[in-house]
Amino acid sequence: MFQAIFDGALREARRHPLHTALNILGLAVGVCVFLTLGLLVRYEYSYNASVPDADRIVRLDSHWSLAGTASYESAFTSFRAVPFLRDDFPEIENAVRIIPATLQVRREGQFTSFTSYQVDPTFFQVFGLRLIRGLPTNALSRPEGLVLSEGAAQRLFGKTDVIGHNIELVRDGQKTSHIVTGVLAQPAEPGVLSDAEILVPIPTEDINTRSCFQRWGSACGRIYLKLHNVTDISTIGAQLRDFVIHRASGADSDETSLGTHPEQEFSLSLVPLLQQHFYDITVRGGEEAADRNVVNSIGITGFLALMLACANAVNLATARAMLRAREVAVCKTLGASRRRLFIQFMGEALLTVATACLAGLALCEVLTPVVASLSGQAVTVRYGFVLLLWPLIVIGSGLASGIYPAVVLSRYRPAAILAATRMPSGGRMDARLRNALVVVQFAIAVTIVICTFVIDRQTAFIRNADRGYTMSGLLVGSAIPAKDLAIQHKMLDALQAVPGVKALTFGELGPNPPNQNKSTYKLVNSAEKVRVHLLFDRAGSEYFETYNPRLLAGRWFDPKYGQDEGPDNEALQKGTGNFNVVVNETAALRFGFTTPDAAVDKVISDQGLRATIIGVISDFRFVSPHEPVEPEIIYYNSLTRTPFDEPIPAVRFDNASSSEMVIHLNRAWASVLPDTPANFQSVDDRTLEFYQGDERRGRIFTLGAIAALLIACLGLYSLASFTAVRRTHEIGIRKTLGASARQIILLLLGDFLRPVLLACVIASPIAWFAMRSWLSGFDQRIVLGPIHFLTAISGALFIAAMTVLGQTLRVARSEPARALRAE
Amino acid sequence: MLIELTHIQRLYRSDEVETTALCDIELSVEAGEFVAIMGPSGCGKSTLLNILGTIDRPTSGSYRFGDDELTALNEASLAAFRRDHLGYIFQNFNLIDDLTIERNIELALVYRNMPKSLRQERVASAMDHVGIAHRARHYPSQLSGGQQQRAAIARAIAGEPRLILADEPTGNLDTENGAQVMDILQHLNDEGATIVMVTHSPSHADLAKRRVDMLDGRIVLSAGIAI
Repeated sequence: MFQAIFDGALREARRHPLHTALNILGLAVGVCVFLTLGLLVRYEYSYNASVPDADRIVRLDSHWSLAGTASYESAFTSFRAVPFLRDDFPEIENAVRIIPATLQVRREGQFTSFTSYQVDPTFFQVFGLRLIRGLPTNALSRPEGLVLSEGAAQRLFGKTDVIGHNIELVRDGQKTSHIVTGVLAQPAEPGVLSDAEILVPIPTEDINTRSCFQRWGSACGRIYLKLHNVTDISTIGAQLRDFVIHRASGADSDETSLGTHPEQEFSLSLVPLLQQHFYDITVRGGEEAADRNVVNSIGITGFLALMLACANAVNLATARAMLRAREVAVCKTLGASRRRLFIQFMGEALLTVATACLAGLALCEVLTPVVASLSGQAVTVRYGFVLLLWPLIVIGSGLASGIYPAVVLSRYRPAAILAATRMPSGGRMDARLRNALVVVQFAIAVTIVICTFVIDRQTAFIRNADRGYTMSGLLVGSAIPAKDLAIQHKMLDALQAVPGVKALTFGELGPNPPNQNKSTYKLVNSAEKVRVHLLFDRAGSEYFETYNPRLLAGRWFDPKYGQDEGPDNEALQKGTGNFNVVVNETAALRFGFTTPDAAVDKVISDQGLRATIIGVISDFRFVSPHEPVEPEIIYYNSLTRTPFDEPIPAVRFDNASSSEMVIHLNRAWASVLPDTPANFQSVDDRTLEFYQGDERRGRIFTLGAIAALLIACLGLYSLASFTAVRRTHEIGIRKTLGASARQIILLLLGDFLRPVLLACVIASPIAWFAMRSWLSGFDQRIVLGPIHFLTAISGALFIAAMTVLGQTLRVARSEPARALRAE
Repeated sequence: MLIELTHIQRLYRSDEVETTALCDIELSVEAGEFVAIMGPSGCGKSTLLNILGTIDRPTSGSYRFGDDELTALNEASLAAFRRDHLGYIFQNFNLIDDLTIERNIELALVYRNMPKSLRQERVASAMDHVGIAHRARHYPSQLSGGQQQRAAIARAIAGEPRLILADEPTGNLDTENGAQVMDILQHLNDEGATIVMVTHSPSHADLAKRRVDMLDGRIVLSAGIAI
């Protein structure tokens, strides 16, 4: 029996090599896309799964509901909570504080940046990550201890046996010496801190001096808790409100507290480690996150690609079944039972699918590194996962593609078939089934194509969208760690001397700012008590010329107006004085001004600090396009009386290339701060992380769309070639009746493209709903207009037309007399 | 003269073999004639009919239809010629399975870009002519062989062609249905239609006004006169 099945499949392949090849190729591509995207989805879902006791580890998140701003959740929580948590909750087994930092290692005069975390010595008691060198119990117990990742050890020393080696770190211009006390094993699965290259203990000085360790209102890192039991998550979660009321409250004058009613604007919650990867998409300062909907969409795309391929196989198998009618009739005449014929055809279908699946697996090996590169994720072929799916795909696809043709073929009555001069057509039901499958296929493919096109447009849009300032010809450096007026002046002079510098300024905010400070201001002399939580920035001289914001109302700062000079640090601390400020458009709106002009000359205050609005500028987008632009207040600092707090230098240049300017500016910086890397970058490079994720996901969707369209077109081509053969006789009749070649071409193209057009009609609303939902996750987004749909549909129709054109022309040009003899 | 074939030759060439299907055919048909072409299988009857119907081209020779030399025309012109002047009836009916009888008959008129109202009028008239009107909405597979052939005749006459070509129109029919089809053809000829029919049946050939016998690609008898 197996021999007969094998021989039958081989004979079919020899008889119709093109159809067989297209069928196998289509299925192989479908299987490959399904497996590869499946591996990517599995990778995303496996985040943190390999961390020991992951189900008992939680992160403590902060929720803020501040005046004038939308409520938000932050993964950064004040470290002041940690000792209280230990005291109040016996369910906590251990806790660890983690501060993300970019540390530089200076070797041979060059800075090398490493993704680093400052952590408590309890790190390895909470996260049982494996060390290939050193002991978890004491790796971080010494202040000078340092743990390297396997990759970082290789990068720095070319080996992993580096315990006891010295490393000099530079952070904020300060050098510290460390000794390697551990080397982290490369994690088998992605997870929390899997990007960590260096782990160092939090410096004791920071614990004693930094505000995030002392004040509830300040945060600089994440808190992870390891609980005794999984059920403790809900137990603690239920008590966190009382915890906040009890521990974060204090007198209004107590700067470490959040006032008398902290629960009105602040709350805490626990985020289980296993949910964190998808949860963090809406959390500020979270770990590397993925949008669950996007990941699921990628998985669905892979599944649909497989469905497309199966639909192809069903379509072709159904179409070709009729070509074997005479074979069936002869076999039945010779005594073959219907059951035996059914098994024969099912067996052949399964054999074909198994061959295609093997080819698909091989293609998957090739495609997986490409997907890994496109997605930026370390996806590899996991045979445990693949071999689990493979037999399911073979059986599922084999049954799907084989069962209907096997039933139809084995049902043929031999007398009728042998007496007929023509092959059975399969009837209108079969034709309708084939057309329905083409409609389904193209509806799927066109939906994916439209979505991909919209994603591509949105990605391009946010890349090129107006961010409120002129990005070209602008370079932004690292924050200057020195809070020293003289050093800042020196830096300003050094940078100013670089040829090509057209304008130069300092600001405390910049594109992708490392720190943000906020204060709540209220509108003075207003019947309504409007309070707005404002992002705080100080702008230096030439700020306007450097960033080129649009002035919507009023004026920009001018040194000749004495009140334009902003508060010094003392005035800020005390909260006293009268100053002129500029606000952004969002701030003006939040204060209730209907137009920017209405905000000019109005006074807002933060306790004793009174600020008169002298101008309103367009919103600056320094943050991710997913996040809304926050209301902002800008003070002026001419750098005559008070230094900036870690200012970010920005340079507008002309008459020089960007790369040359970066070299010259970095060199000028090094002449002032030789131990701190300058890292001047374009705005695009500096904000890369905001756009990279969407661009990478866009590339994956593009891959899925190409695969879907390819499979659909393979199916359409196969069907067209089959239909061309089937309709040769009909075309002969039509030509005999006087149809011209043009009329035949139009007829065939119309017949081939009608289901594709119907598919487009079905696909459009589906894609519209999907993309409307996706776009709602962006603060800046394109308008979902008909042009996106028409362009994608035109493209799909054009490709479909090109696919069938060859077959159409061949049939249309056939000689009628020969065509009438066909079949 | 409606048709004048002069020195028509049709060769089929493959890599190694050359087959002569028609050799030096001379044939004239007057308007209003009913010509029956007879001969054994493979003698070239259908090839001759195909050349008359311009769905096959002669290798050499001249084919004049009225005042037009058809061998010089390109494919598009030949399609237009068939559309405007010919009606075709086949042994196996050659109705399109996916179209209703009504739509099958209408097909030839569609290619003439005829207005829909006129097309419907002509289709109805043709169906009445052959007694198939009650089957207008049926598909070919739902009709008997005789009914299908009558539908094919209706399609052939709907365009009011100058020449009707019938390729063994009774070949797939039983005696009774065959007789009915021949009655219709005779009636059409009586109304003035020019008909050239290939047949194996001597009795049906006798119903024609002229008989042309073929053998091995040549005409051996025309109008009872030996060549």
